[in-house]
Order: sequence, then structure tokens, then C-alpha cells
Amino acid sequence: MSFLSESFRMAIALILSGDSDVLSAVAISLSVALWSVVFASAIGVPLGVAVAVGNFPLKGVVRLALNSLMAMPTVVIGLLVYGILSRQGPLGSRGLLFTPGAIVIGQTILAIPVIANYTLTAIQGADERILPTARTLGASRLQCLLQLAHEVRFGLVAAVIAGFGRVVSEVGVAMMLGGNIRMYTRTMTTAIALETSKGDFAFGLALGLILIVVSLAVNSVLTVAQESYRA
Amino acid sequence: MSMAKYQLSSVQASYGKTPGVAIDQLTIASGELCVLVGPNGSGKSTLLGILAFLDQPGQGTVSFDGVPVNWTQKESVSLRQRVTLLHQNPYLFSGSVARNVAFGLTARGTRKKETKNVIHESLEKVGLDGFESRTARRLSGGEIRRVALARALACQPEVLLLDEPMANVDRASAELFESLIASLSAGGMTIVISSHDERLAARLGARIIYLEDGKLGRAPEPMASACELHQSEENHANS
Repeated sequence: MSFLSESFRMAIALILSGDSDVLSAVAISLSVALWSVVFASAIGVPLGVAVAVGNFPLKGVVRLALNSLMAMPTVVIGLLVYGILSRQGPLGSRGLLFTPGAIVIGQTILAIPVIANYTLTAIQGADERILPTARTLGASRLQCLLQLAHEVRFGLVAAVIAGFGRVVSEVGVAMMLGGNIRMYTRTMTTAIALETSKGDFAFGLALGLILIVVSLAVNSVLTVAQESYRA
Repeated sequence: MSMAKYQLSSVQASYGKTPGVAIDQLTIASGELCVLVGPNGSGKSTLLGILAFLDQPGQGTVSFDGVPVNWTQKESVSLRQRVTLLHQNPYLFSGSVARNVAFGLTARGTRKKETKNVIHESLEKVGLDGFESRTARRLSGGEIRRVALARALACQPEVLLLDEPMANVDRASAELFESLIASLSAGGMTIVISSHDERLAARLGARIIYLEDGKLGRAPEPMASACELHQSEENHANS
């Protein structure tokens, strides 16, 4: 028990002291997670909308694939992207492996199915009259879809937050594609894994606490936004 | 004789579970006021969907202002900017009443200053003057209908299609709707109303289009006689 309380005290002290390794891991984590979510949203939201409102062959297969990809282990995605970015891979000449860019690519792939599925669910739960109403008022297809997105905007925000939650807390992609290089590609999760294995439990705990605070903050923002919308 | 606004020829349509229609010939003149009557499941809403260019019939030709409709995406959007359908159970978008009424105008690229004036005028017509900043989702059922009508009127359509506009509304709203329809019709707007109220056509002096099992038929005698009697009284009063 004293081990835990002592570690906790040391973790708090590390956070308050502004330790450069802690701050670097937090900054890198947030940076790659935000960029991944931006790219994944740019692909996942339109993909979710297209699957929800579109009529095309193999629509059921696409939905099944999106659902299955939600549960794809992060190390498998890391492995596949590693194969593409490694020296022998098709994009090996770009020298992306073990850079923050490589983590962004892997985490984008990881977040796309999450964001697309949440978008799909948000639109399927929307009122069926939205599109016919917009259409009969003379809106173009794009205007109709933008109005639909506006009506389900809090569902879309939830999709983006869920995508962020998926990438900020993952280890496999960041470890395999980033290489856990100090002050360069070391994220909170990879730092926790490394420092704990080295026996520096307090350091891992400090980052774990920050990770929890980040997750709580993101969810609180979403909850406050939804409540103010309902009020 | 006024020009035909709509000409339907050998039109057949059915969409999933909704009742289909099979219409050999139907002409609706420009500026005409019609009431679409028929039992439940007779295809009234399906026909309104076709007239609103929301649903393409499986077979047949629909001409609008003498031009056959090709149902391309671009043409359908352009025609929907001339025809507006008010659904039986209208949906108001989230946000203010003004935002709802402005929707069709924004879609048409109308300038902001003009939009503001049109919103005011449209809400005034439906007796909701001063409702601009109200939250649309907090309105009563009758107010929702009125805002939806104001939103349709704001588009200044050539044709107004109304699906059961008087169903489940209070008497005051029903009277307002009827007098508004009469005045819009007098102003030359083509209006098609679907209704279960058999006396509505008589009160408005409208032509009855009777649908049964998706096909055009002759209205049951009391309904037709009531309408003819009302029209002859109106002609007598005008002469």
C-alpha cells in the first residue's frame, strides 16, 4: 500500500515540477492524436454519411467491414503500416518510419472506422423527415447533406471524440511505427509501457494520471455541449 | 383556357410499402386549386411526392409547364425550387423559427436583407408575427404547422402542395389555413391539397381529384354535388 501511495505522491510531484520528459510525452501524444483525428474525421465522417444515406452495391459488406475494423487490434494496424513504411515497403523511400508522421498515419487508419460508425449511427438515429424536408424546400444534394449534418452535429462531435479516445489511449501503433524515441515519438502510452517495465512506476503513474485527466476533459466538453444544446 | 401546369400521362409508381398510383391522364391547369380526395391508402401522398418532384414514377411522363421532366438531379432540384410540398407532419429544423423560414431562401442564394423581409412577411401571413427568435422545437403542434407553412410560402413557389394541412389542427388554425389558401389561389398560385375533409373542396370552390386504389375515379355523389352546388352559387354571386 505504501508503494502505491509513495508512487502516487512522486507522480504528483513529477507533474507539478513540469518534468521535461513528461511534458514532451504529453505534447507528442496530443499532437499526433489531434492530427490523426483531423485526417480520420475528414475521411470517416463523409464515409459514414455515404453509407447511411447512399444506395450502392455491397453496402451491407461495407457496413460489416466498418464494424469489424472497429475491433481491429492496434498492433495489427501497426504491423500492416510498418510493412508499407519500412525500407522494403512501397513507401519505404519516404523515410517515414519511426517519425510522428508514421504514428499519425497508423492512428488515422485506426480512427476512421470508429468515426465512420459513430457517424452512421448518428444519422440512422436522426429524424427521417430531415432530408425530404430539405429537398422539398429546394436544397441541392450537398445542401441537404449539410443540413442533415447540422441536425446531428452532436452525434458527429461524439464520433470525433470517440475517435480521439481510441487513438490517444492506444499503444500498438505508436510503439511499432514511432519506435518510442525520447522527445520525438515517445507518447504517453509508450512512455508508460517503457518506464513501468524499467521499474519507474511513478513516472508511468504520472502519465497515466494525465491521460485520465485528458480523457475526462474531452468527455466533459462533450457532455457540457450536449446539455447546453438540450437546454 | 389557362396553360397546363402539370400533365401526367400513363404514370405508374409504387415505393416499397407506400400505396402506389396508376394514372392514365391528369392535367392540372396553371393557377388551379385542386383538392385530392380519397380513402386511406389511395395514393394521395404518393401522387403529391411525384408532383413535388421528390419521387420519380417508375413509368409514364410528367410534364411541367409543357416541358417533359427528365428527373435528372439538376433538373429535379431546379423544379423543387418552383414547387413546395408541406408535409402532413412537418419537421422543423433545430434553431430559431427565423432560421427555419429562411432555409429555402438560403438554398436559393437570396440576399440577407431580402431574406429578413420575406421571413417577416411570411410569419405575418400565418399569424406568427414576432416569432422570429423563438426556438422552433419548443412550439406547439399548431404553431409548428404554421411555421412550416410560412417556410413554404417564403420560397414563393409557383405550386404549393399541401398534404392534409388541416388534420389535427385547432379550429382557428384551420380557418386561417383555409382563408390563406383561398387568397393564395386568388393570387394565381397553383395549389393541390390532399384532404380527408370532403367538404373542403366545396368551401374553397376547388376542383376535386378523386383517387381510389391509386387510380383516378369519380368522386362519390354527395361530395361531387356539394362541390358543384358551391361552384354554381359562387358563379351566381359573381354574375
